[in-house]
Amino acid sequence: MNENRRRILEMLAKGQISADEAERLIAALEKEPAPTTAAASGSETPPKPKPKYLRVQVEEQKTASAHGPSVVNVRVPLQLLRAGVKLASIIPEQARDHVNGALHDRGVGIDIGQIRPENLEEIIDQLDDIVIDVDKKSEKAKVRIFCE
Amino acid sequence: MIPFAADITIRRRDRRTWNLWIPLAVVWLLLLPLAILLLPVILIACLVRDVDPACAIAALWRILNSLDDTEIDVDKPEMSFSVHLY
Repeated sequence: MNENRRRILEMLAKGQISADEAERLIAALEKEPAPTTAAASGSETPPKPKPKYLRVQVEEQKTASAHGPSVVNVRVPLQLLRAGVKLASIIPEQARDHVNGALHDRGVGIDIGQIRPENLEEIIDQLDDIVIDVDKKSEKAKVRIFCE
Repeated sequence: MIPFAADITIRRRDRRTWNLWIPLAVVWLLLLPLAILLLPVILIACLVRDVDPACAIAALWRILNSLDDTEIDVDKPEMSFSVHLY
């Protein structure tokens, strides 16, 4: 639309069209729907709805056991995670340093004091479907984390 | 909104099932006097740890409000257990 409008203004500047004609053309441009959105509305998939819940599914299969697998299925509202992120901001500094130290010892190099609500929104946007396979000696487990 | 009820289901391997419906609204009302009694303790703890008590209480209230519609299902071969807050 901007390209067409610029062309009209260039034509007006060159004297190829009068001011009235330019005005009519611009008004006509504003009335008609944008071609890209009109053409794409039939073929594009509808936008993904905003997820409301975080689901964590853990399926554990003990190889030594004759019984079936153990399944844990947890669904928490994403509001709870957002509230938890805000809770992290009021953790006392001493406790925060202690937690950061413990995380660094385990190879997790993040600072919980730097976590912001925007970071959580970015994670939620990117979190489509994560599957983690855990393979130990006597048991196998599959962890699936996704937003719905 | 804070959850006002909880559905708890416990199912054992011998197919015995217990269904429990807990009116959390009553639980919150019963805990309210306790929360009021503990309020000075919480305020003192926040001041000692250099934490804004208003922020702390607001954060806890937000967490409580976010618990609505939480589901936890644990399914083991011996028994299964599920909790639904709403």
